Amino acid sequence: MSRVDSSPPGEVESGPQIALRQRRRHRLAAGRADRTSLVGHSKGTPYLLSGPSILMVTALLVFPVVYALWGSLFNTEFLGGPQYFVGLEQYVDLFADPDFVWSVTRTLIFVTGVLVIGIPLGLVFAFALSRATGKLRFMRGLTIVPYLISGIATAVIFRLILNRDFGQVNQVLGFFGIEDVAWFSNPTLAMFASMVAQVWSDLPLVVLLLLGGLMTVDGELLDAADVDGATGWKRAWRISIPLIIPQLVLATILLSYQALTSLGVIIALTGGGPVDATRTLPIALYEAAFIELETNKALAIVIVILIFNALLTLGYWGLSRRYDLEGA
Amino acid sequence: MSLRVPTVDVARQPTTRLDLRLRRWLRRIWIGIPLLALAVWTIYPVLMTLSISFKTKADVSVDPGLIPSNPTLDGYRSVLERQGFQDAFINSMVVGLGTALLTVVLAVPAAYAFARFRFRGRHLLLLFTLLPRLIPGLGLMVPLYRIAVALGAIDQLLTLIVAFTATVLPLAVWLFVGYFQQVPRELEEAANVDGASLFTRIRYIVLPLAFPAIITLGVLAFREAWNEFNLVLGLTSTPGSRTLPYELFLMTQTTGFQDNPGQAAFAIMTIIPFIFVYLRLERYVVSGLTSGALK
Repeated sequence: MSRVDSSPPGEVESGPQIALRQRRRHRLAAGRADRTSLVGHSKGTPYLLSGPSILMVTALLVFPVVYALWGSLFNTEFLGGPQYFVGLEQYVDLFADPDFVWSVTRTLIFVTGVLVIGIPLGLVFAFALSRATGKLRFMRGLTIVPYLISGIATAVIFRLILNRDFGQVNQVLGFFGIEDVAWFSNPTLAMFASMVAQVWSDLPLVVLLLLGGLMTVDGELLDAADVDGATGWKRAWRISIPLIIPQLVLATILLSYQALTSLGVIIALTGGGPVDATRTLPIALYEAAFIELETNKALAIVIVILIFNALLTLGYWGLSRRYDLEGA
Repeated sequence: MSLRVPTVDVARQPTTRLDLRLRRWLRRIWIGIPLLALAVWTIYPVLMTLSISFKTKADVSVDPGLIPSNPTLDGYRSVLERQGFQDAFINSMVVGLGTALLTVVLAVPAAYAFARFRFRGRHLLLLFTLLPRLIPGLGLMVPLYRIAVALGAIDQLLTLIVAFTATVLPLAVWLFVGYFQQVPRELEEAANVDGASLFTRIRYIVLPLAFPAIITLGVLAFREAWNEFNLVLGLTSTPGSRTLPYELFLMTQTTGFQDNPGQAAFAIMTIIPFIFVYLRLERYVVSGLTSGALK
């Protein structure tokens, strides 16, 4: 009986963990491929079972990236005209274009802003939820609601509550003497509004992730701190937060991903405006592909976005191995 | 989770009754304020949108309260009468259910193979874990659009189903592998001894045990398809083939700030069906969502 394949009972393993274990096992099991104690299947069975999925993912996820990489090396005089090879010219042109460089900078500003708003907010909410017991547990179910709402609907909601004339936010601000805030015609405010809408849409995952981390913090540790007279803030800062650093790191990377590739929220909220104030990389991609109809340029932007994304993934991969994340 | 009893250092803390009560109240406030903030942050925007959806166009700016003074269904009527909405709603349903079904049908056998067999290509699971992160939907939008145009597959619901399934599949396989590895191998070996074939074992042992996982993955896949915007933008060009988010986006572009109740009603109607699905299946879904976020 092979014991190797049964995982320990308990939480579902994280992917990186499975992958790691599998690689170790592969090294051990070199030359013993296709060995299992189960009978009644032929050698081809696993290939038959996993084949369709692997084919589909290759055709629809991997191939398009290769296609984009290849296509970004060409150019045409006009839409549908003959393509000719230009090498890396598309990329050189992109980075020589101040508008594009600005949209990269703006994307970094956007991602940073989302993190600065999202992580502290997520922490506060997660701490509150970890204390919400008994009747208040329904709050956890409530927290997930924004996650069920599409980016476009989120944008519509924020357009309504941030409306200059009748938006509730302006009415509350008016109560404090701040009158007539024009959220969508002031560049800075439009950027801020986009960040808040983006955070609203993705915060549930951050909160639940951090909450999961807080639930694993040993209660006895906290009680011990209590006895030593450490209360509230001190307990959170010195004990809980250091213990959930892995979850914090993951939440940070997750939020960055979402912000980096956010098209729906921004395009329906501000449309990239006023002027170009919220024209981040995804908006630049949308414009190149579907408004300027410069497909090859759009494919080059795709590759730039994928590279940023790959850098984040590398960070995620490295950190998840370093912290040996369990089930997170 | 149990509430920890506050321990008070007897030596240092004055422990009069009043003081203890005061401390308990302070504690409640400290937890209460952030919880209240969380509730307002999460629900208030949705409630406000719901409220606007029941107002008349003129009342929106005149009557800013949460409870509409002249409630009306005009907003909903204007949305339901839009040809685009009806088509998009049906398309969203078809694409959502299709994606959920196709994802489960493809992911279950693949995950079973990854979880139970050693075979060449099993290391692809490692790649599966990283692919959804490496290649977001936004990156696929333009290349898939070009490929679909070249293949003549644009504007077809099946194209959307296949594309959405491909984006959810790595995650689904990954989660299923985790679940299947929890199904004790011994169960299957016992059935094996009794002469159960591979299909019988999957059908009668693995699938029933993995039922919560199937529900979770189905809902996840449905959500992806229901809310997806980027790929719909790339893969559809005619009015009859779009799904709800794209149609809502077009409505905001064409009606601008003219028809606020209509936009609110539209947004609410894209949210409601999913909230119902979610409420019925909440206990399955929440854990799946959090693991889904990162895997």
